[in-house]
Amino acid sequence: MKLLNYVAVNTIETLLRVIPIPCKVGMLTIGNPGRSSPVFLTCNYHLTVKRVKRALRGIDCYLLVANSKGHNVWCGATGGHFTNHDVISVLKTSGVNGLVDHRSVILPQLAATGIESDHIRKRTGWKIIWGPVYARDIQAFIKNDFKKTIEMRVVTFPLASRIEMAIMWAFPFSIIASLITICFWPEVLLPLNVLIWGLPFLIFVFFPLYAKWLNPEKKGVNFSKYTVIFDFGRTPLILWGLAMSCLLGFSVLTNSFAWPSILRWGFIFLVVILIVSLDLMGSTPTYKSGLHEDRFLKVVLDERKCRAAGFCEQVCPRNCYEVDGSRHTATMPGAKKCVQCGACVVQCPFDAVYFMGPDGEILPPATVRRFKLNLLGKRLKAAEKNTGLSL
Amino acid sequence: MKVLESAPDRYDRGIRILTFGKLDKSYDRLASHIKSGHKVLDIGCGTGALTLRAAQKGANVKGIDVNLRMLEIAQKRAREMHVAENVEFCEKGVAELDGEGSENYDIVMSGLCFSELSEYEVIYALEEIKRILRPRGILLIADEVRPKSLSKRVFHWLIRLPLGIITYILTQTATHPVENLPEMTEKAGFVIESVRLNRMEDFMELIGTKPGE
Repeated sequence: MKLLNYVAVNTIETLLRVIPIPCKVGMLTIGNPGRSSPVFLTCNYHLTVKRVKRALRGIDCYLLVANSKGHNVWCGATGGHFTNHDVISVLKTSGVNGLVDHRSVILPQLAATGIESDHIRKRTGWKIIWGPVYARDIQAFIKNDFKKTIEMRVVTFPLASRIEMAIMWAFPFSIIASLITICFWPEVLLPLNVLIWGLPFLIFVFFPLYAKWLNPEKKGVNFSKYTVIFDFGRTPLILWGLAMSCLLGFSVLTNSFAWPSILRWGFIFLVVILIVSLDLMGSTPTYKSGLHEDRFLKVVLDERKCRAAGFCEQVCPRNCYEVDGSRHTATMPGAKKCVQCGACVVQCPFDAVYFMGPDGEILPPATVRRFKLNLLGKRLKAAEKNTGLSL
Repeated sequence: MKVLESAPDRYDRGIRILTFGKLDKSYDRLASHIKSGHKVLDIGCGTGALTLRAAQKGANVKGIDVNLRMLEIAQKRAREMHVAENVEFCEKGVAELDGEGSENYDIVMSGLCFSELSEYEVIYALEEIKRILRPRGILLIADEVRPKSLSKRVFHWLIRLPLGIITYILTQTATHPVENLPEMTEKAGFVIESVRLNRMEDFMELIGTKPGE
């Protein structure tokens, strides 16, 4: 019965993945925790909590659910919906303070772009341990004495996740398109839905095959990997215009000109172009954001300031860093893989890593901590203006 | 999950449309309790609707909110209204009220903030407010509440559902009406002076005082 419920929730919420679904904020008790049991913290996206609870089965612990307004950990933390305030609030108001003797809380690694461990420790006395990226690794993480292996730190985009993305992309489209077509062109319902479901599956399933030819470094206007071909904006409209004029030309030449069919085909073209070009723009922990100016930023490691604290290595979703504890230095052998998420910049206690713009301008870590991706890739501009907010 | 941008610029307009302008009247009523020279704290001040009203009355106001962009707008409006010397804005949530000194304020007020908090947070906030208020200090709350009668509740949800979607599109925040606000306030040790409900019973203005020694 429990399994059935779990499968049902996973299915429904995967279909509705584009919508943030919040659940209750507060503290959950799992098993029979005692005064030295571990404390975990996650966001209040309903599906996340469901999955984390399942991953924690058999462990006696407390699970704190912080208010991310129903967003998942990565989107919430990186986009400014899951913040320091939410973590401080749940630590202070949930009553966990009186239940355990220690003051260590395990957070999902992907929250590191938005939650500042230093700030949380100063305000609450709680020390953040950056746990694994995926909830399924939690059991192994505990067995490994609360230490992460490389596999637990790196974000991947396997077939299962890609199919999940295709579903979340196709479902809302198919609902909207079906509602429209059922009114004025019911016979096309089935082929249109096959198209709407087929295209995202093709796009996502074969992503690794063509990904290497898409170059986000290109300085063209808004070229994006996720938009697959073009970003939504002028280009898709031109494309749509082209398709429409071909259609018009064809119908005039073959002497079969009729407005209804022109309108209908115009609608189909629009749907197709929207599917391949709209969204999936944005920053992900696996691939560079193609849309935002952020993709031109470079992470610079200041070796004089670095004291090999190792936070960068712990939070990097791309495994760019290598920390040598004995020589007290960190290096970036994987700098090429960087996706500019900024987690290392936010976490470094010595401000030894910072962003540098294409023309050599420096973005102070304080600015990045303040705005994170809230500026939607406008961090560069913030640096130029050096927006000293008068607060 | 790509709704990344919070939208403070649209917030004011959105809220005004959604409340049909009634919020302004409600805030004016609450602000009528504020006198010149009062020390006032506005919890969840947002773009400063209540804060600036208090400042115009000559009170010394501190506004706290978790949204930095909203505070920026509030600060700008304070300058435009020439009350910037009387106000101070601070990026802080309710759980960070423990930084405030005890018995430091004459009035603590909060508009449309409690409905964005969890139940734990509301309880915590009320306890902290009681600590930082001077004896006989006043608590002013204006917020969405859950109607008590079933028929009004059904009616409330019928109206709220489309409005909720609009609110979400405009502000990307979802609120949930507070339940048992007067009871919780009383439990925290306040004396309820007055409770005013609108006809729909889904919006409450609550005035409470901290008992004297």
